[in-house]
Amino acid sequence: MTAQPAEPEKLGTLAEDDHRPDPQATKKDSITGKSPMRIALGRLAKDKIAVVCAAVVLFFVIIAVFADSIMKIFGVSTETVLPSAYLDTLGGGLPLKGPPNHGFDPEHPFGIAPQTATDNLAFWLKGAQTSLMIAGLATAFAAILGITLGLVAGFLGGVVDKIISFITDLFLTIPFLLAALVIAPIIAQRYALSDNYQDIQLFTLVCVLSAFGWMGVARLIRGEVLSLREREFIQAARVLGMPTHRILIRELLPNLAAPIVVSVSLMLPTFVAAEAGLAFLGIGVTSGTSWGQTIAKATNFFETYPLYLWEPMIGIVALVLSLNLLGDAIRDALDPKTRR
Amino acid sequence: MKRTKPLAVVAGAALFTLTACGGSGSNDPSSDRSFTQAPEVGKDSSRQAPAAEVEGAQKGGTITVFLPGDPGPDSLDPTEGWSVTGNSIQQALTSRSLTQYARDPKTGEMTLVPDLAVDLGSANDDFTEWTFTIRDDAKWEDGSPVTPEEIAWGITRSMDSDTFPSGPGTEYSQTYFSGAGEYKGPYTDKGKEWDGVRVEGQDVIIKMSKPFPDMDYWGAFMAMGPVPLGKASNPPDYGKNILSNGPYKVESFRPEEELVLVKNDQWDPNTDPARHQYADKFVFKFNQDQAKVDQIMLSDNTESQTALSTSLGSNNYDRASTELGDRVVQQSSQCTSFLSPDYTKITDINVRKAIAYAYPYTDIWLATGEVPGVTRVPANSIMPPGMAGKHDYFVDGEQFTYNPEKSKELLKEAGHEPGEFKITMVYYEADPLSVAGQKVLTKGFEEAGFSVKAIPVQTSPYNIWLNPDDKINKTLNLRGVNWCSDWPSGLTMVPPLTKGGAAYNTSFFDEESINDEMNKITLLPLDEQADAWGALDEKISTEYFPIIPTAFRNELFVFGSKIGNPVGDGAISAPDYKDLFVMQ
Repeated sequence: MTAQPAEPEKLGTLAEDDHRPDPQATKKDSITGKSPMRIALGRLAKDKIAVVCAAVVLFFVIIAVFADSIMKIFGVSTETVLPSAYLDTLGGGLPLKGPPNHGFDPEHPFGIAPQTATDNLAFWLKGAQTSLMIAGLATAFAAILGITLGLVAGFLGGVVDKIISFITDLFLTIPFLLAALVIAPIIAQRYALSDNYQDIQLFTLVCVLSAFGWMGVARLIRGEVLSLREREFIQAARVLGMPTHRILIRELLPNLAAPIVVSVSLMLPTFVAAEAGLAFLGIGVTSGTSWGQTIAKATNFFETYPLYLWEPMIGIVALVLSLNLLGDAIRDALDPKTRR
Repeated sequence: MKRTKPLAVVAGAALFTLTACGGSGSNDPSSDRSFTQAPEVGKDSSRQAPAAEVEGAQKGGTITVFLPGDPGPDSLDPTEGWSVTGNSIQQALTSRSLTQYARDPKTGEMTLVPDLAVDLGSANDDFTEWTFTIRDDAKWEDGSPVTPEEIAWGITRSMDSDTFPSGPGTEYSQTYFSGAGEYKGPYTDKGKEWDGVRVEGQDVIIKMSKPFPDMDYWGAFMAMGPVPLGKASNPPDYGKNILSNGPYKVESFRPEEELVLVKNDQWDPNTDPARHQYADKFVFKFNQDQAKVDQIMLSDNTESQTALSTSLGSNNYDRASTELGDRVVQQSSQCTSFLSPDYTKITDINVRKAIAYAYPYTDIWLATGEVPGVTRVPANSIMPPGMAGKHDYFVDGEQFTYNPEKSKELLKEAGHEPGEFKITMVYYEADPLSVAGQKVLTKGFEEAGFSVKAIPVQTSPYNIWLNPDDKINKTLNLRGVNWCSDWPSGLTMVPPLTKGGAAYNTSFFDEESINDEMNKITLLPLDEQADAWGALDEKISTEYFPIIPTAFRNELFVFGSKIGNPVGDGAISAPDYKDLFVMQ
């Protein structure tokens, strides 16, 4: 004789019939039924900080997307000019018109750069574009790489897991800054003769950033998969003979949405800051426009022309801060354990 | 002598120092400082020791020297020294040689005077044999006398180009001394006898392979000085631990960081016609941050009062010259910056002239952190101002300025429509200033009818320009070079830049008749040579125009308020270390 499972009926009654069969109440229940994503979005919308941050991020995204049109509206461009006509040659190369020593110059709302006399507004707009484009691309690449490797490692286990985990650990031990300092010039030198050098430089930077940014995601996903793959629904899928790729994509991936969204939203600001940092150090974007590069040039003028330094600084701080706070808010909203 | 600041070699032929922070709120170009000409260098064969006291000089104190963006020498070995920074320090303070320069306190003129030799040497009629009589009372820091044998040994070492590849001997000893090209030096050709130098009593006699009338100037290099015999001076160890014979000796030396010199009590002022020993100690701080040093010097605190800086950020120039007045010293250097169009690829002189009109001089100086009219001025000739025999000529009848219309005209004459002629050049991408300079240059060239392909490189452009096998170098048709004279003679400017096959002849200009003329000039009587070099300079430029001088250069030094005698040394364009003192 087989033993009966303990109190199956009780479980059933608990779910359905134990409480009053009030028709009104059941109706209300069915109305308030929400998906986890909707619950999270609802929480996010109530979070004031999250809303403000989202607005700031949206502002920068709009700037980045429509940079060229905005530049046209203001009548400015990033074009190189011959500076001697606009600068005080003996006064440290400061502008003859506009800040810091003269009033507002409507032709150049943000002023012009010392020494080179290029327009600050145009460089600021284009800097936002570069910054967000590189950060966005790098995040996308790093996330795809990390998720794929994490999924495969966690699900297949065994030798594959060992190899992928070893690679992850290996990359984690390489100091990012050092590697970037070494790799960037080598690639730049390799393609120095190329005609689209600027694009290659940009792509190189995206590669370097994502190559050193995927490990966190991979580890996180692998851990999640390790716990998920022992669950009944995965076992069932296996028993049914579902192919591995289908299990990974159809069964596992949707259950990983929350950790992926959180890690991606925190990866973006890291890359924005990293891009600016690398440009400041003179690697990364050196031929195009970048906030980090402007900051590197402007540090020499912090006393004589502070505005020149403030503009890119405010851009980076506002963007990184709001991305970070937004990421935190998303994490809080998606995590059922946190209640504020 | 080439400039060795590594960050400084950029965009075409301009040379930059890093700019720095700070400045004043003044709006107008307030300074009337303009380019100073280096006075001509004279000779005084009979100058006697001791050197005349500097007016008001006091003893004691420590002088700190900041060298922003300048890594200084790797080695202190006298045979190896061929940089403005290293030689200016060592020749003034630690390492004596056959001759030296003394500064006239009234006129600022530099005079070539004897050092370890009792006079400026004597030559035979055709300058193929020079005799220097060595004084017998000079001593090393350990108290032993400096002997003629040790000087002969130093001269022998300078023949070794393989052991000292960046030494000045590679250019002069290996060209003029007997056995040049055959005898490879005491370390490479071990045990081989060399007849180039011999000692007779107190006399050191140097034999030449060809006439060398400038031996007395060459004698002012520390490479023409004593080096301890035998194992004590084996390279590369000797470079870290040199034996001093000047007024100061090395207390500690950390390359690229710091050099500390203290008084050498074995040095006797009665043996030296030009050096002094006023301060107790010199501290040289290499590779300093320009912004930081500018702030220190402008603050005039106790640290900076007894300090000096060998450069000044252009953004602080205005403020520094108002606040510090004559503590900011402008020293003309015997240096010229050039663009070198490839003579084998750009064959039409009109195109080369068009390039000279297309180069936006003032704009590039501004973009690269120079002070136009102060640290850079337009140049007209190969020889820098103040060099004996320099002709004041203009290749195209007037000073070249940025003139896109003229450039287009000249291009048209040469049969090129605007945008057709392509200039290929490199720029140093690691330095933001050089990137900025290149952008301006590209803009200027394009407006003047050229099209430009600028190739970013991650290393000093010299590494590209001087490497004939480099694949980037093979594609270039415009290079550059910055050149400083080693002594005030056209011999150290014209041949190194325009003689066929010379190392720094980056335009590959090679005309048989010009090469012959150069060889002929060295055979002329000494007093005719200066003029001959000037005439040749003009002839080369007006007939061939192979290299385009873009700027004569000036250095800015900042002296603390308690540094006495704040002046520069016009012979080497460094602070005049020999005569500095601390006001107590």
